[in-house]
Amino acid sequence: MTAIDAAAVTTPHKQRGETFFGRLWTGLTRSPAGFAGTLLVLLIVGFSFIGPLVVSKDNPVDATNIWAEPSAEHWLGTEYQGKDTFITLVNSGAEPIWVGTLAALMAVFVAVALGSIAGYYRGRIDAVLLQLTDVTVTIPQFLLMLAVVAFFENIPPWGIAIVVGSTMWAFLFRSIRAQVMSLKEREFVEAARLQNLGGARIVFREILPNMAGFIFVNFVISVNQAIYAIVGLFVLGLMPSGTPNWGLMIHNSWSQNFYLNPVTLPYVIAPLVMIVLFTVGLVTMGRGLDQALNPRLRER
Amino acid sequence: MTEPILSVRDLSIAYRTGRKESVTAVSGIDLDLYEGQSLALVGESGCGKTTLGLGLLRLLPNLGEITSGSLTYRLKDGSTQDLLAMKKEQLRRFRWNEAAMVFQGAMNAFNPVIRIIDHFADTLRDHDCGDGKKWTKAAVEARAGELLETVRLDPDRVLQSYPHELSGGMKQRALIALAIALDPKVLVLDEPTTALDLLTQRSIVQQLHELRAKFGFTMVFITHDLGLAAELADRVATMYAGSIIETGSARDIFYTPKHPYTAGLINAVMPVKGDRPALESIPGFPPSLKAMPSGCAFHPRCEFATAACQGERVPLELLTERPQAMDHAVACLHHDRVRLDRKHNDSPKETSRV
Amino acid sequence: MTAPTAPPPQQRAAAAAPPGRTASGVMRRVWTSYAFRRILQSVFVIWLVSTITFLLMHFMPGDPIEIMAGRLNSAGMSHDQALATAANIVNYDPDASVWAQYLDFLKGLVTLDMGNSLTSPSKTVFDHVMEYLPWTLFAVGAGIVLATVIGLSIGMAAAYRRGSAFDHAMTSIGSFLTGVPNYILIAAVVVIGYTVLGILPFLDMRGRVTAGVEPGFDPVFFGDALYHAILPIIAFAFTATGSFLLNMKAATTEVLTEDYVTVARARGLKPGRISRSYVGRNAMLPVIPQVALQMGTLVGGSIVIEQILDYPGVGQMLMSAISDRDYPVVQAAVIILATSVVIASLIVDLVLVKIDPRIKTEGQDA
Repeated sequence: MTAIDAAAVTTPHKQRGETFFGRLWTGLTRSPAGFAGTLLVLLIVGFSFIGPLVVSKDNPVDATNIWAEPSAEHWLGTEYQGKDTFITLVNSGAEPIWVGTLAALMAVFVAVALGSIAGYYRGRIDAVLLQLTDVTVTIPQFLLMLAVVAFFENIPPWGIAIVVGSTMWAFLFRSIRAQVMSLKEREFVEAARLQNLGGARIVFREILPNMAGFIFVNFVISVNQAIYAIVGLFVLGLMPSGTPNWGLMIHNSWSQNFYLNPVTLPYVIAPLVMIVLFTVGLVTMGRGLDQALNPRLRER
Repeated sequence: MTEPILSVRDLSIAYRTGRKESVTAVSGIDLDLYEGQSLALVGESGCGKTTLGLGLLRLLPNLGEITSGSLTYRLKDGSTQDLLAMKKEQLRRFRWNEAAMVFQGAMNAFNPVIRIIDHFADTLRDHDCGDGKKWTKAAVEARAGELLETVRLDPDRVLQSYPHELSGGMKQRALIALAIALDPKVLVLDEPTTALDLLTQRSIVQQLHELRAKFGFTMVFITHDLGLAAELADRVATMYAGSIIETGSARDIFYTPKHPYTAGLINAVMPVKGDRPALESIPGFPPSLKAMPSGCAFHPRCEFATAACQGERVPLELLTERPQAMDHAVACLHHDRVRLDRKHNDSPKETSRV
Repeated sequence: MTAPTAPPPQQRAAAAAPPGRTASGVMRRVWTSYAFRRILQSVFVIWLVSTITFLLMHFMPGDPIEIMAGRLNSAGMSHDQALATAANIVNYDPDASVWAQYLDFLKGLVTLDMGNSLTSPSKTVFDHVMEYLPWTLFAVGAGIVLATVIGLSIGMAAAYRRGSAFDHAMTSIGSFLTGVPNYILIAAVVVIGYTVLGILPFLDMRGRVTAGVEPGFDPVFFGDALYHAILPIIAFAFTATGSFLLNMKAATTEVLTEDYVTVARARGLKPGRISRSYVGRNAMLPVIPQVALQMGTLVGGSIVIEQILDYPGVGQMLMSAISDRDYPVVQAAVIILATSVVIASLIVDLVLVKIDPRIKTEGQDA
């Protein structure tokens, strides 16, 4: 309502002299829930990636000691082959997490690339891309994945990540496009356009950096969605895997009906708890960051 | 008529901005309005005129709050009531029936998913006072049709339409028709012509003239468009930074403004639309509600400002006393030094009516 | 479009085209064209998914006929006989060119002849899948309805009481439900309810119906079927409820700031009417497409849920077809499930047109 202050014409993210991580940090500290969620995520990522380096990998089969109760020697007892459940659990997180992250990276990358093109250039290409997303979102993604793994056995985990990523981007496309369209109207982009800086440069130097927070939040949410699909495939026992992982543990518990027997509880519950904690962490982190970084959602 | 139809005393309105913080948007408003009068509240955006307008019907958004004062209406049955003392259901029945409001930007005033006729039906049915008359579909259609014809809309075309099928001007007319559906005695109009093109503005103004002549309701209209004020008002109150700083008959305000701010507004080219062009002759910008200057809020921008202006808040001083609250009063220590630069040859009413 | 200074009514009606009685024929045409475009799009998606499954089967490592024959062979059939049976169950000639196979496949889709099942070669895969499909659709459908009712009403209530303890509690529950995969939540419910606490009669609740209950149009059968479907329904409702709740809260919060809501309050309308036809109806509009989107996720997820809960729907059937290498059944199940998802979201979108009058005109200028 007052002056168009001169500073508004320079790029906001530079003007404030803050890095993306700086703003991420402010965002996190401003939202206690988001902070707690991030801690939880970091804790589980640490447990799954640093844990295996600390804990002995040695986990022999011991037919004489199956379903042992938790003890000082076996913190979570042993499972159906007499292996130590805790060691299995420590080694079980890495695969779902990295495959999920890879899938989410892919989805975000495709969505950002196509979303900026559509939102910045509009016109015909925008119409075509919109039509394409309309079609892609109606394809039941999990079914498609299932078909892929059913026909192509022994598909590597990164292959699954690609399949998941290529069905997930469409859900992000529209919001990225809308953001680009609204940023495009802002003064600093207008100024860059008047200087004839060129589309690609404006998108990469002016628009995307100002959406970094928004993109990051969507990335976090995408990791969560990818985990849903990937762990699901493991639970169904459809993915060959050399290493133990959360989904495979659940698959073992169910396919052999262990879950009906109270003796097996530590083995059955452990992966459930890990997945619940990790996904809850991701969601709280995403929501907390969203509120802090995305002023539109802030309380009026 | 000796008693005013609306009497505002010491009204203050604040918006909460944080857990324990708030800013005062409107403070210490005193206002009397007599039946049939038409009062223009003029000022720049952000001066609190819309807040005051919403406050008159207790329609403030959740974060807004009337912090002090009273709002006394004389109702159709002759009794007087303080709006602030009303219970929820009583307030609901009061609204639209006693006082209706035409909003700024009628573009979004209608529910996009129901037809225009349903808006009339809802309004009529929810104010059914149990006098035996049932608002059947046919009755609603007849009444709504009659109202739309009053504002020169074709009922056959409009009644069955959805809001998005009408143009901005048609929506504004339809909203005016809806506003007079229950024969309210007071009509508050918030920027009734902003966002409309010139021709449509003209026809809406024309319409309001006719309606006022026909129904004789009391009008408060909020505008930054002095031309509109000159045309429709017999009284004008200038607002600045949440307070009324000058009030008087349209003649007083347009020929002998006594507040430097009012004079500045008039000296600026009579604006057609928008706020900014009008203010070129007044240096600086209105103060932020969070950092209000001491004393007279206008002093940082005022050519006549002296040390005294920065001291205490300047109260309205009565210049000319007239009946029915038509007094000319101003809140300026230096009002005797204020002169208009330009001489208007004719009455602004006449010029703008050509 | 602008209105000139009060022209005579008739002239205006003629100038500004669309609605009213005169133009109802035009409106109907626009509506049908929107519906038509949507239907076309759905057909395209079904074709796309079918073609993908065809290509997957074609490019899979190894020859599907050989693999299926190998399966029969190990089950005790002679090699030649197994090969003949396997070649016989697919709806195309294994020796023809890819294009001929593809045309056969498409023709089979249209005539609902998608080959026969490997495990019972006398049965067509379509009949086989249809035997399981209703159970899954029933559970998913009931779950969606439950989630819509609960999610929308709580979401709206939370928006009305924004910032209250109720709002915070419900929003947290909503994010929890959307965040955690539904099959994990229902697995936890089973393990805690049955294995740990022993209060959930999980063993009895498995399957479709209790042994001895005959299918038929009687309350005993429906009651029993519902009893067995309760856990799957809850599982399907979990994620959808959370997502509807959060979406509805956001949408309601937005609608509450709209001018027409303030105007409705100014008009002294009854609070019930305002929350129903002014706030609720408008807030629902952006949430309804979410229902369609959720449907796809849920039907896909049903495969995991049915596995976890031992509910013999189409998901469980699909899993055993995958482990039996019964490729025609896998193919048909994927296509039929995808088709039902696409049809369901088509229906939702067409219903949306009925509720939101603005979509028609959008369709017009596209």
